[in-house]
Amino acid sequence: MKKSFHFVSIGLLTIGVLSLILMPQLWVPEPILVLRIGAGASIFIFLLLIAFLLQIFLAGKALGQKEFQAQLDKANRHHEKEHLQFIRRLDHEIKNPLTGLHTAFTNFIEAHEGGERNQAKDNFYKALGRLTRLLRDLRKIYDLDSQVIERRPIEISQLVKETVEATQALPTYVRREIKVLMSTVPWPLPVVTGDRDLLGLALYNLLENALKFSDNNEPVEIRLREDGHSVFIEIADKGTGIPPDEQSSIFEDLYRASNAQHVIGSGLGLSLVRRIVNLHNGDISLRSINNHMHGSVFTICLPTKNQRKAG
Amino acid sequence: MSKNRPTILLADDDPTITDNLPPFLERAGFHVLAVSNGRDALEKAKIHQPELIILDVLMPLMDGREVLRRLRSQNIWIPTILLTQIGTSTERAIALEEGADDYLNKPFDPHELLARIHAVSRRTQSGKPLLSTAWHLTSGDLALDRRARRASLADNPLDMSPKAFAVLEYLMTHPGEVVSRERLLQSVWGWDYPAGGRTVDTRVFEIRRLLDDDPSAPTFIETLQGEGYRFVAPVRATV
Repeated sequence: MKKSFHFVSIGLLTIGVLSLILMPQLWVPEPILVLRIGAGASIFIFLLLIAFLLQIFLAGKALGQKEFQAQLDKANRHHEKEHLQFIRRLDHEIKNPLTGLHTAFTNFIEAHEGGERNQAKDNFYKALGRLTRLLRDLRKIYDLDSQVIERRPIEISQLVKETVEATQALPTYVRREIKVLMSTVPWPLPVVTGDRDLLGLALYNLLENALKFSDNNEPVEIRLREDGHSVFIEIADKGTGIPPDEQSSIFEDLYRASNAQHVIGSGLGLSLVRRIVNLHNGDISLRSINNHMHGSVFTICLPTKNQRKAG
Repeated sequence: MSKNRPTILLADDDPTITDNLPPFLERAGFHVLAVSNGRDALEKAKIHQPELIILDVLMPLMDGREVLRRLRSQNIWIPTILLTQIGTSTERAIALEEGADDYLNKPFDPHELLARIHAVSRRTQSGKPLLSTAWHLTSGDLALDRRARRASLADNPLDMSPKAFAVLEYLMTHPGEVVSRERLLQSVWGWDYPAGGRTVDTRVFEIRRLLDDDPSAPTFIETLQGEGYRFVAPVRATV
């Protein structure tokens, strides 16, 4: 668009220059209307014109400033709203395990027999674990927002393979089926530049979600492909799916979908994934249904060359 | 030392810490002096000369880092563990730069703190700065310039990723100690996750490749199945 304007300007300028040179030779201009005004009047008209243009300029500027201020106010209000929402969600995420901690401790003190005390002790550690997980994930987010990430070549296929192996080695997922489908013809997947450990963490978070939210006998698929500019990593499951009206909020800090409240997690996993992908100049998207056919497909798109600014 | 028990100076402004840690450490055989601000910590450290100091970073009157800076500038090398609030890499780098012998991120398991206290005590050679406070480390042909973040083998510079450098640095400043993958993740990365052990293995693999270190007959890094890694070669601080 910008380029075509440039060409039109050059064309017009060329025509103008040619007219200036050629026209006097072809056609001698004759006055059509002669207006005679005094020097004072011409100064008056000239200054009037200047004043008029100045007023238009100032009015435009004031309008621009007003619009800018309105946009700034809107952004501030949005930021304030997000901030309050974060605090409300954090309050919710802290008060539950804290109440659990309090109750478990009371049970431990007041219980008479060993079995009841042991149960209270287990519950105490569970609540403690939940609070620790929340803090750990909050710290990861802080760390991501404040540090410069490593940028080195990464073979995504190798990273995916390692993440799958490490996940399947965990006792919880040892029997779970994780299929990896990778495009290798006519060429292997290109290398991506970035932080291997962070991308590994992002993959693990998505993979863990896929496993957590689907039945033990349902497989999870990871599909890898490329389009010449980017590498696409799809993580697909036949899990509970995410309600359509909640899909736009799913990557927000501490957001938990209405059908995921019972599943253990900090509510920060997907927001971490989004941050990590953005730090790699990539995108993440979601397709999900939760009716009779249910499941989700998360797609990470990573550029194979760093086209935008590096962190 | 009180009644032959080693003294630990604990400085933290949060009563949750100063109320709960001393009984735990006393049970573990230490005598604990607890203070709630940096100025008192500096004063008590000079008067009582404890065997070890545990310093919180954020404290009123004088923060933990300033206390450490002043102690080190006065040539007082009492082993010190910093309790960091934020697990950022910058914070960890600063902790070492200012002469901390180890650091631990809050929240921590008190048993982990106890393990660190014992490890730091073992590494301590009385009156001398520890490896963790030295800028240059060497082990055979391997040299580490911690300030410039450069490693070399037989004077040939090694193209090492920053994370691999940090892992090697941590292992070299804790020679002979078995360091678990979880501890490396917590100390070098500042975070961990259930499948994170593989992340550590990848970096150790990178180090071994660069150092041409055979895992079945290691010169530098030994793998202890199910436990972690150990830097087996002797390390010394050089100028």
